Amino acid sequence: MNLVRALVIVPYFVLATLPLGWLALTSLKTYDDTISTHARFVPWTSPGSDRTSPRFEATTAAYRSLSKPVAGTPRDFYHYLGNSALVGLLSTLAAVSLGTLCAYGFSRFDLPGSKEWLFFILSTRFLPPLAVVVPVVVMYRWFALENTHLGLILLYTSFNLSLAVWLMKGFIEEIPRAFEEAALVDGYTRAQAFLRVIIPQASTGMAVTAVFCLISAWNEFGFAMTLNNYDAKTVPVYFAGLQGNIEGVPWPQIAGGMVLFVAPIVLFTVLVRNHLLKGVTFGTIKQ
Amino acid sequence: MSGTKAAQGCGRVAAVCLALASALGCKSDPAHPGSSTTGSGTSAPSAATSLTIWWAQWAPADGLQQLGDEFGRRENVSVSVHQIPWSSFQDQVFQEFGKQRTSFDIVVGDSQWLGRGATNGLYVELTDWLATAVDLKSLHPLALRYLAEYPTGSGKYYAAPAETDAMGWAYRKDWFDDATEKSAFQAKYGKPLAVPETWSDLKTLAEFFTRPDQKRYGVALVTGRGYDDVVMGFEQVLYAFGGSWGDFKSMKVKGSLDSPGAVEGLEFFSGLVAQSPPGGSKLGYGEALEPFVNDSTAMLMNYFAFFPDLAKKMGDKVGFFAMPKHGERRVASLGGQGFSISTKAPPAQQELAKKFIAWFHQKATQEEWVKKPGGFTANAEILRSEAFRSASAYNPAFAQSMDVVQDFWNVPAYNELLAAAAQRIGEALDGKKAPKQALTVLAEEHEKILSQSVPQ
Amino acid sequence: MPALVVLLAMNVFPLVFNIYLSFTNADLSGGAARAIGTHNYAVVFSDARYADPITTTALFVLLSVSIELVLGYVLALALRAHIPGKSALLTVLLIPMMLCPVVLSLFWNLILNGHYGILNQLLGAFGLPQPQWLTDDRLEFVSILLVDVWMWTPFMMLVSLAGLNAIPRYIYEAAEIDRASRWMVFRTITLPMSAPLIGLAVLLRATDALKQFDLVLAITGTNDETTQTLSARIYQVVFRNYKVGLGSAYGVVILVAVIAVATIFVRYIDGLNRRQGKAQA
Repeated sequence: MNLVRALVIVPYFVLATLPLGWLALTSLKTYDDTISTHARFVPWTSPGSDRTSPRFEATTAAYRSLSKPVAGTPRDFYHYLGNSALVGLLSTLAAVSLGTLCAYGFSRFDLPGSKEWLFFILSTRFLPPLAVVVPVVVMYRWFALENTHLGLILLYTSFNLSLAVWLMKGFIEEIPRAFEEAALVDGYTRAQAFLRVIIPQASTGMAVTAVFCLISAWNEFGFAMTLNNYDAKTVPVYFAGLQGNIEGVPWPQIAGGMVLFVAPIVLFTVLVRNHLLKGVTFGTIKQ
Repeated sequence: MSGTKAAQGCGRVAAVCLALASALGCKSDPAHPGSSTTGSGTSAPSAATSLTIWWAQWAPADGLQQLGDEFGRRENVSVSVHQIPWSSFQDQVFQEFGKQRTSFDIVVGDSQWLGRGATNGLYVELTDWLATAVDLKSLHPLALRYLAEYPTGSGKYYAAPAETDAMGWAYRKDWFDDATEKSAFQAKYGKPLAVPETWSDLKTLAEFFTRPDQKRYGVALVTGRGYDDVVMGFEQVLYAFGGSWGDFKSMKVKGSLDSPGAVEGLEFFSGLVAQSPPGGSKLGYGEALEPFVNDSTAMLMNYFAFFPDLAKKMGDKVGFFAMPKHGERRVASLGGQGFSISTKAPPAQQELAKKFIAWFHQKATQEEWVKKPGGFTANAEILRSEAFRSASAYNPAFAQSMDVVQDFWNVPAYNELLAAAAQRIGEALDGKKAPKQALTVLAEEHEKILSQSVPQ
Repeated sequence: MPALVVLLAMNVFPLVFNIYLSFTNADLSGGAARAIGTHNYAVVFSDARYADPITTTALFVLLSVSIELVLGYVLALALRAHIPGKSALLTVLLIPMMLCPVVLSLFWNLILNGHYGILNQLLGAFGLPQPQWLTDDRLEFVSILLVDVWMWTPFMMLVSLAGLNAIPRYIYEAAEIDRASRWMVFRTITLPMSAPLIGLAVLLRATDALKQFDLVLAITGTNDETTQTLSARIYQVVFRNYKVGLGSAYGVVILVAVIAVATIFVRYIDGLNRRQGKAQA
């Protein structure tokens, strides 16, 4: 039986990690090696002996050149990374705070029509960004929010809000009401009970929610591309823009940048691995 | 407790709804049309201190920035060139035009955008001004016609040529000069291995160099379907073989695009794809460079703007030649962009923009411009000069190409025309439709698009 | 409650405005928008190539979700046992679904490249044919499917695992006592009892697949007939042809579909919760 299991798991494991491994290898090559018709996959200290050798000279040149703008781009990679970080962090902060408040309301109070509201909140997840991109673009023009960090942050906040509300609702419901009731009996007001009891208890939940919101904002592409010209460009848009580059697509730099871009996500995935199920199913499935 | 919170919530929701509804009612116009097209203010405009230019993300824009800095020093202003990736350049520009005030004063737009810019009141009309600021006779007539004029042939100008470009060929000089190759070619075809003069010469060379087992191929063509890649690649073959896009004035397409010459051209072009590397039927401008740079392809078709970098990278291994002839016709697809002034920029900025353009076109500046990476000029005198022709390996071919350039439709609906053409020509290249059928269908589609978009 | 306000502003208003715009001939570069009645909708439904994006999207959703389901479920079955380092293994396997689709597909372009891509070179080394993943019309759709499956199979696996783990041990023990065959056990216990959660995953994945845009843009571009999903079509219409009104009409059509799917989804969850509540009672 174990053989069968191994036969299933091992190939899949290889398939899952091979592209990522190739990504890492590519980031260590020179440009010519990346487009060679004879694959080079053995990192070595010196260039291969001839045209068909699988060896290549491993170099960190790609990583070092990330701080210089690629031919024809106005800024270097780290500038865009900073944009992604800024937009991601701020929208996450906003989404988690607002979301926790809202989730608390839904969880503790029996509001009329709460089910409808929750449904409405959930439905925003199903929305194809492209379907609403038109009115959003026009709306942003009125408020001069196009091409600003703020515009993107607002948008990401609203999308992440749905995620935050649903996730936090799940987490808050796990906190027994007895805790708050005890606080209320002790004379605290509702708001104080919220701050002193709920927030500490839900802090893990908030952290997990924050991670998922951050990942969602980090990876977002549709709106980032259509709303922004050049000032608040995020990394995915930057990479997409390198496709028609006049000197040819700079594969080593792209690979290097991708490794750096993807690393935080990998880190976060490891951190919240116990809550992955909840996170990706929007809190509808609990383990 | 919960009741009041719910009530508060409801109240707020209602207030927001009302506010939004009134906002919606008031602004039934998503965007307001631009200000007057001539850009002359009622009061004396205060002097502008900065100029913003938008261009695509590539080396010539860096060159323009350097020139801009020089202009800035002279006039005590700051010039900044914003570079936007090609893939989203046109989207961003036209989206920006939707605002009441654009953040750029000058946009270096593609030649095809002229119609849209002119008819939608986005580009300032330069007809009266251009002749006073620039010596029109110094500009190559074809550059002026395609990069500045709309409608073509009318004498009305909406742009001034900035970067003039054309399609040409790069080839592996070291392979062509190799003794073994030379003797093998002579033995096989009975004539010497040399730079092709005609399209059939090119085809012979391509066939000779295509050796899949050695991972070597003859040609890398521009055949991408995303924007105008395959259309530009095919355009020169189309015209050389006797076809055309149609009559730019009467908007009649049938009879030109589906003529026997056109069909023959498309058949030839699809045949040529067989001598390109795997995946050669869908190579964008940048992608076509890769098979050439990785030592597997003998000849590369692309815009001259890409060649300076190639020459730098490959040195003596690469040589250049202009488009071959078919019979007596030699045609090269036009590239390049022109400076257009935004009607949605303040009058003071527009004045400064005009100053910049006038300075750019002075002969001294143009001589500097051609020294910048990827900078190509429309100044006919420079093009003819010995100094220019001997300055680099690709300049002679470029000068030769400028005399035979041809462009696509520049009407407002150009994008739909491009998309349809890319798809149909693509189908012929992929073998899904016979060339004759593809062109007949395309001619039909083009006439439909043109008739539906009657200029305002 | 301020959260609701923000949500409303960002979600309802665009919806309403979308409907309004779809009745005009607005242009991306501004200029007065004239109301032109239902002309846009007429174009949307009568365009000879109208059905294409819809069939493409439907086909994509169907294929990607089913393949991911099968693969994910099989993987989950294999991973159920106690394996040394299971937690670490799981985490690594789950990484692909957390990555940025656009960024990854740009890189997949390098792998799938017909001329120098590593995949074809590997195939060639084994003497297998080297298909043109990115340029052959028949294969472009497959390529997009491939990348999507690579990215999202872990999702199905995760949910399947949860579903499988939710089946109480004692049922299996009872079956063992009854000496039921492995296949019998699978058919009557494992499959039906893990089905509800799987259904949830299928719905979630399906709604995500409906939105597919990033992969299309990065791998084949939005002007490609064989891979133009609905979102890609909207992009082409609005940002390349500048027809904002027409784009809005498409948008409204999609929104109607989305609301329908969302309703199904919520009913389904309700049903699940009720059943779980009953089971626990």
